[in-house]
Amino acid sequence: MKTSLIKTVSKIALVLIPTITLSMAATAHDPKMHAKKAVKADCSKMDHSKMDMKDPVVIAMMKKCKKQAKAPHAKMDHSKMGKMGKKMDHNKTKDIDDKSNKKESHDHH
Amino acid sequence: MKIFKLLLLLIALALGTTATVMYSGIVNVAADEPHSDFVYWLLEETRNNSIKKAAQHIEVPNLEDAELLLMGGADYEFMCSSCHLKPGQSESDMSLGLYPAPPNLAVSNDEHKGHEHGDENQADRNNFWVIKHGIKASGMPAWGKTHDDQRIWAMVAFIKRLPTLSPEQYQILTAVE
Repeated sequence: MKTSLIKTVSKIALVLIPTITLSMAATAHDPKMHAKKAVKADCSKMDHSKMDMKDPVVIAMMKKCKKQAKAPHAKMDHSKMGKMGKKMDHNKTKDIDDKSNKKESHDHH
Repeated sequence: MKIFKLLLLLIALALGTTATVMYSGIVNVAADEPHSDFVYWLLEETRNNSIKKAAQHIEVPNLEDAELLLMGGADYEFMCSSCHLKPGQSESDMSLGLYPAPPNLAVSNDEHKGHEHGDENQADRNNFWVIKHGIKASGMPAWGKTHDDQRIWAMVAFIKRLPTLSPEQYQILTAVE
């Protein structure tokens, strides 16, 4: 009984250890993991007037900046917003709006 | 018979000289002490011809691809820039400390002193081979052990355009969020 249990455990170990090791190695070289720290592309310094739009460097920069500009919106999961909208108590938001309006009008005095 | 004895003597002499050099410790291996001009030439010629021969049959794909530049840029920044520098940079701790000094890849091939690159295709082939296989006892690792050919070609594509990039363009192409 004991020997069969040891055999089963060693078989599982033989399968699992290489699998885990290989899967860890596969994710270890993702370019994002290579980055020392997250750095945003500084797209503000791009001079569009001097750009040759057929140049792969220009195309690559445009792609990078476009992707970066879209990134904050992409993180929002719009598919779940319908449910969130139903859960929101709009009566309370009205109160908040009223309070802020009152405060604003009070500030004007 | 005489020739055989002479041959044996020569072999014994060569083995004795090699053993003396190895075990006496007279060879200075310090990286801050450069080789003599003759040794440097010997090693560099050997290295260049070895790379040229090994890389001669490698087929170069189309490297004028924006996606390759983006992929190669991120890898270059992490894996290469500390030794091979980036636009606007002329030295780093690694570029000063390593011997032989790693070439500055942010300047054009014409500005590299002391060695020929051949035509553009030959330079691409050589770069691919060196990145993939590394160079013994030089500090250049074999990235092929952990990176597939596509990733290495992406680095070759990026290195090809690197001397033409401004520091601002380099920053955009290599940034990883």
